[in-house]
Parts: sequence; C-alpha cells; structure tokens
Amino acid sequence: MKRPVEKIGLLLLNIFFIAICFVVLVPILYALSISFNAQGGLLGSDFRFIPRDFTLAHYRAVLFDQPVLLWLGNTVVLAVSAVGIALAVSVPGAYSLSRFRFAGRQRVFSGLLMLHAFPAILSMFAIFRLLSPLGLINTRTGILIVYVGTMTVFGLLNLKGYFDSIPIEIEESAAIDGAGMWHTIKSILLPLARPALIVTGVMVMIFVWNEYIYAITFMTGASNYTLAVGLYTLQATEMTGSWPIFAAASIVVSLPILIIFFATQKYMTSGLTAGGVKG
Amino acid sequence: MHSGKGSKNAVKSWTALFPALLFIGLIILFPIGYTAYISLTNMNIFNWFDFRIIGFGNYRRALFVFNSGFLRALVVTVLWTALNMVFQLAIAFVMASLLNVRKLRLRRVYKTVLMFPWAMPGYVSILLWRHGMFNAQFGLVNQWLYTLGMEPRRWLADDFSAFVICMVVNLWLALPFMIMIMDGALQSLDKSYYESALIDGAGWFTRSVRLTIPAIRPIIAPAVIITLFTTFKQFDVIYLMTKQIGARTGANIHTVLTYAYESAFVTRNYGYSSAVSISIFVMLIGFSVLVAFLRRRGQKA
Repeated sequence: MKRPVEKIGLLLLNIFFIAICFVVLVPILYALSISFNAQGGLLGSDFRFIPRDFTLAHYRAVLFDQPVLLWLGNTVVLAVSAVGIALAVSVPGAYSLSRFRFAGRQRVFSGLLMLHAFPAILSMFAIFRLLSPLGLINTRTGILIVYVGTMTVFGLLNLKGYFDSIPIEIEESAAIDGAGMWHTIKSILLPLARPALIVTGVMVMIFVWNEYIYAITFMTGASNYTLAVGLYTLQATEMTGSWPIFAAASIVVSLPILIIFFATQKYMTSGLTAGGVKG
Repeated sequence: MHSGKGSKNAVKSWTALFPALLFIGLIILFPIGYTAYISLTNMNIFNWFDFRIIGFGNYRRALFVFNSGFLRALVVTVLWTALNMVFQLAIAFVMASLLNVRKLRLRRVYKTVLMFPWAMPGYVSILLWRHGMFNAQFGLVNQWLYTLGMEPRRWLADDFSAFVICMVVNLWLALPFMIMIMDGALQSLDKSYYESALIDGAGWFTRSVRLTIPAIRPIIAPAVIITLFTTFKQFDVIYLMTKQIGARTGANIHTVLTYAYESAFVTRNYGYSSAVSISIFVMLIGFSVLVAFLRRRGQKA
C-alpha cells in the first residue's frame, strides 16, 4: 500500500476529528471558561477560552447566594423516590406481561406501545386541572405521581423486552422446586436482568433530573424548586448580566448527570430494549 | 408454561400489573380522556367553571382554518422533521465511517468526546446555546463577529435564522445517538465494507451507496424510526430557544407541540388546545400504524 499517502490521510483525519471535537464542545467549553473567568464575558472584552483572571467567585455565588443546595435536595428526593416507585411497580408488571399468558395481555401491550408515543406535554393542562382540586399542585407528591406515571410506560416496555430475552427454563426449574413467583423474580430473574434494571433506573433518574416543563408549571413555590426550575429562573435574559453565574450553575447541575451517564454507558446498549432514546 | 390453571393465573397476572396500570391510568390514560372531553367544550380562561359542550367546533378551527395557526405549525414541523432527518442521517453516516477507518488510534477518545452532547442534560445544553452562543450581548458568535469587525446580530429574532439555529442545536443534541447507532451497525458488517474509506475517495462513495447503506439499513431502522418520532415531537429546542414565556426572542416558529402548549398556557384557550392535542395524538398513532405496516410488508418482501 502507498504508505505516505495513507499517513498524510490519517494525519488529516486526526486534524479533522480534533477540530470537530472542539466545535462540538464549544458551548460547554465557553460556559466552563466563563464560569471561572473574573472578567465576565461581555462583548468586546477580548474573550479567551483559558481565563487570564481565574476565579471561583461564581461558584461560590451559586452555592451560597442561591438556594442551589435546597434545589439539589428537592431534586434528589424526587429522583430517588421516582426511581424506587417506578421500578417497584414496573418489575412485577413487566414480569406478568413477559411470562403469563392471560386474556387481554396483547391488548395491554399494544396499549402501552401506543401510550409510549404520546407526548406527555399534550395532557399537561388536563393533569393540572385534575390535580388542582386534589390539592396536589405545588406539592412533591403531585409531581412525583406525574413522573412515576410518565416513566412507568417506558419501565414496563423496557423490562418486558429484557425479561423476554431470558430463557424461561431457568425459572421453570425453580418453580418445580416449589418457589413462588416473588421468590423466582427476586432470586433468579432480577440478578440476570441487572443491565436492564440499571438502565431503566438511570433513565427514570435522568428524566426527573432533566424535566423542567412540568416542574415550572406545577412547582410554583420557591421552596419546592427542583434544580431544573432553579436553573430556569437563573437564566440571564438578553439584558441582565448574570451569565457567569448561570454558566457556573449549569456546570454544577450537569456534573452529576455526566458522571452517571459515563459510568453506566456500557450498560446502555445491552440494557435498552424499548424506545432506546434519551428523554 | 404458566398457563392452564386458568382464572387463578389471570388473577395473579392482573395483580402483578395492577400498581403499574394504576399509575398509567391516573397520569396518562385518564388525562387523555379528559383532554378529549375538554376538546369538545368551550373551556377557556373566561369559562373556567361554566364551560359547555360545543361539539367539534375546536377541531374545525384547528384543522380547516388555515390562519388558526395549527396547519402552519404542522407544515413547519414536517419540514423540520424532514430536514433534521436528512442532515442527521448523512452526517452520522459520514462520521461513523470515518471513525471506523483502520489505524485511527484515537478513535475511542473522539467517540467519548462526541458523546458529550448526549450526556449533558438537554435543557441545560439548549440554554447554553441560547445564552452562551447566540445571546445578542454576550453570545460567543457575536463576540467572534465583533472581533472580525462585523456587526453583531440578534440571531433568534427572525424566523429563518431562528429555524436554522434551532436545527443546528437539534442536530448537536441528536447526532451522538445516531452516530453511535451507525457505528454499531458498521462494526457488525464485514470490515471490507468500510475500512478503506480514506484511501478510496470516490470509490468509497459509490460503495457506500451500493453496498454499505443497504447492508446497515435493517440494523439502523428501529433507531431511525424512533428518532423520526422524537424529531416530530420536538418541544424543548424551539421552546427554550425562542418561546419562553416572558423571554420571547421575536421569531415566530412553532412545532405542533409548542403550538399546543402555547394555546393552553399562553392564550389559554383550553378547548381549542385540547382539540389540537388530540389531533396530534391521532396523527402519531396513524403514523405508527403506517410505519408498522410498511415494516411488516418490507420484511415479508
């Protein structure tokens, strides 16, 4: 093979990819840089990606002048409860859909597929009007029910898809030994379905962490704000100049999700069976 | 199998399903039914309690009156979906092919970096694009223009440039997933399909069209269909970039979802907005049935 040609080609290709990676990261790098930059970042201030006056003041402002820790607490409580409840109701439901043959099973399954296509935002007004006489607007319980309900469709479909791929013979031998359904699920199925459980849980968590439109509509009291609502209110509009604080807050809010995403990425291909998209 | 024991098993199956179905019924099914009911009424901000059933008037206004706005939003959404899909598939295919060039040692580093837009919380990224890149005062794009001695612009103020920018942001958000899918599909093929992408030049192009693309088509089909639906259902990009309540940028582009949201929460015409919502849902169902039918026929042939 023509070695020099190949070498030059590879060099060009590497330059191309480095350029692409930079372009892709620009919005994030810009925010990162501004968040550490003491000079602000107004027009004509001769911006550089590596700040000349390094500062942690914006992070200090985010963490101590803004109720970010309160928002973080609210978000974590919501996310953990939503993951717990969604898994607790989805596992037996998906097991039933995967293993039992009963009248109406196919109809439930097709119904779920159909509902999976329904954008939750379309019924937001109806949900608001239904929850408000129950006193569930601006409460954690209210928004938690909404999140669990929304993600249970995904949970059922994703877990059912994975359970289907586990041979039933493994459980049948346990059933012969006299183990009941719950015991079979707990001791045989769940360990085998670990990737799907992790991915389903992570998806619910990411969903709750990233959900803003229900949260800004339903959680009107400042003490109930989640990180998403908080960040939303921190936005620098065209006129105000709190852009460095907003940039720092964005980084703080994104970090946990970035860590979880890259830590669980190896499960993503094996653990996603239904509708494998973020969000 | 667990069948045979008849009714006892049916009880057990439904019991196991019940908690999940309760949540789904409460939060998804019942609200859809309620939305359908509201769509037949004249409920709005003035008739919050004393609304009455008016029949299909809201549907007539949404689907047959062109300047009501819904049909325009639908046209924009179809255009949005088509353009996004074309660019997404083309760019993802080229990127995935280049990532699979033999001897590209830093492949894994590049792949990890390219996954970042997928890993970031979506709304944070969109807000960073809006305020970081395209803000008229301190946006990076305007800073660069300024440095080059050009006039800063209000990027999100007019329809055309706002549409293009929203598309760029959407591509940025969606490409990592598509690249990953294409990359996986390419790796499942025989290496000779793609490995000499770099050396062959034009030969690579014809081979891609004749061999590689037909070979990966069945593998990527489910992901492409899912993306098609997500693109059609896109809300966050358009809403956060241009339509936030209290911080509009001046551009007047709507996808069907931002339109439905706006008629409920801004103009507060709940009956009409519910009719729009139900129409969108019916379209989505029709579309999925059609896709399922075409795929089944394609598999038989």
